[in-house]
Amino acid sequence: MSAATVPEAGARPRRRDLLGRQGRAGAALLALIVGTAAYGFFFLPDGAGKTREAVPYEAPSGAHPLGTDDLGRDLLDQLLVGAGTSLTLAFLVAAVTTVLAAILGGMAGIGPRWLSATIMRGIDVMLVLPELVLFILVATFLGQSFGIRAAILALILWPAPARVLRAAVLTSWSRAHFEAARAMGAGHAWLLARHASYLIGPLLVPVFVRTAMRAIVYDATLSFLGLGDPTVPSWGTTLYWVQVNGVFLSDAWLWWAGPPGLAITLTVVALALVGTSIEDRLNPNLQESR
Amino acid sequence: MSAIQTSAPDTSLGRPGRVTYLGGRVAEYVVVLFVAVTLNFLLPRALPGGPLKLFGSPEALARLTAEERAQIATEYGFGDPVHVQFFAYLRSVVTLDLGTSLSDGRTVTEAIGEALPWTLLLVGTSIVCTTLIGIALGVIGGLRRSEGKGAGTLIGAIVVDSIPQFWLAMVLIVWFGVKWQVAPTFGATGPDGVTVTGLAQHLVLPVATLTITGIGYIFLYTRSSMLNVLTSEPVQHAHARGIPRGRLVRRHVLRPALLPVHTLIMLDIGFLAAGAIVVETVFAYPGLGRLTFGAIAARDYPLMQGTFLVLTLMVVLMNLLADLTYPLLDPRTRTGGES
Repeated sequence: MSAATVPEAGARPRRRDLLGRQGRAGAALLALIVGTAAYGFFFLPDGAGKTREAVPYEAPSGAHPLGTDDLGRDLLDQLLVGAGTSLTLAFLVAAVTTVLAAILGGMAGIGPRWLSATIMRGIDVMLVLPELVLFILVATFLGQSFGIRAAILALILWPAPARVLRAAVLTSWSRAHFEAARAMGAGHAWLLARHASYLIGPLLVPVFVRTAMRAIVYDATLSFLGLGDPTVPSWGTTLYWVQVNGVFLSDAWLWWAGPPGLAITLTVVALALVGTSIEDRLNPNLQESR
Repeated sequence: MSAIQTSAPDTSLGRPGRVTYLGGRVAEYVVVLFVAVTLNFLLPRALPGGPLKLFGSPEALARLTAEERAQIATEYGFGDPVHVQFFAYLRSVVTLDLGTSLSDGRTVTEAIGEALPWTLLLVGTSIVCTTLIGIALGVIGGLRRSEGKGAGTLIGAIVVDSIPQFWLAMVLIVWFGVKWQVAPTFGATGPDGVTVTGLAQHLVLPVATLTITGIGYIFLYTRSSMLNVLTSEPVQHAHARGIPRGRLVRRHVLRPALLPVHTLIMLDIGFLAAGAIVVETVFAYPGLGRLTFGAIAARDYPLMQGTFLVLTLMVVLMNLLADLTYPLLDPRTRTGGES
């Protein structure tokens, strides 16, 4: 048995090394948050955090561990339901953005010259527009429902990752074994499936994670500014009510404003730990020094 | 945020040569700016919930006769064909005559002129603080990491980088503004008008918010750039030649390591004015961000377009400035195109 645990020289890194210590901590934290969100989604009754359950402005107690808000709604319920809203939106936006970025970045990398130029100029313009302002503007006019917010975010966030992926595609395509494959008559589709997927596929993970981080923060910011959907509990919406009700002036901010803010921070930290760990392992220059 | 644009010249720009290269970049930015101006013109018009909403409640609007609607539309030029509106808009952009705000009667140029200095003050101060602290910590962090120490600072930076701006602003208000009452939480000047101490006091909390949330990013970027250079072949060769560590860092590491950071910061400056929208709103700071948010909320088209134009222009200018100053720092790009 003991012989099996000694890694051979030049063997593939063991699977658990994919994340490293920090990455594993982040993944554990993320799993905890996702579990909490799942609990809120599956086990809390409909309308939890939305309906009056107690006296308004109640301090934390056994029945309501985080107290209640100005309308007597349970703040812990809002936190749990809000976790589901934020995470679902983040993962949806990240998935759509990653696909968009991969398709458009890929086409800009290997497509015909005119297509590549069009996409790249489009990206240049998009990157000059201030994202948050654009998000606020479009959300103000098109509405603030969950689906619309997610769609706007995906449309705003794709250019930066698309540029990264285009660069990766270009680098891959100039590699010697790609040239060799092409010389033997391989088309783009074959190169993509057989050769590029190993090089570019792993890059999609940090793109996904980074987009999820930004989606969470942007969406919370929008809700905080009063442009979210006020009927659906979310971390940003809770903080919007904190601001509106001037909760700063009492001790209630501690259990009212603290938890949702910490929840956002922890979620983004968890994602960042996972993302940077994977990125580090994909960057061969840094591997020795970490 | 992470709109990192490489300053590496596009090889499609033609023959090498610095003048051609810069000319090409400028032409590219002019095109980008033109498209941005066009988008800026189209966006508010393409969105539902038109400007007539501003003139009253939906019930009142429903009572307006067709002539009254037409009259309002003519007065503000909403009735003209789109291309006429567009050329009128282009002319107004060039002559800086951006129209009159629908919500408070000032001219747009006037409103922006009043808000811009505040934003520049706020953003400028934050940039200086963020850059100095972020780079210093990043360089130290990179050096320590290359000696195998300081893995923990990475986590600290990630945490700081993850705090939402608006929440940090609220926490600072609660502690420094309400509990300890050491700093004002509202506006840009005190009751006795513009004084140096008043200005400085009102800058403390907004600048702290922007600095704390901005440091992590610059720290992480500088640190990884340092590590990249420290492990690069030229530096390892220099190390092997026996060059002492202090001299090695000063002569061989710092400049190449800070090059990408310079580009990052230049681009950041362009976006910070737009990024200050949240901080300015929470602290009721009378800058461009608050003006933009107010204009969007009031569906004030002329003001919205004006602020958008300025925010976009800032990004483009900073992009250009990053490109123009890059050759000063990186001798390899001085002769032009290929690097």
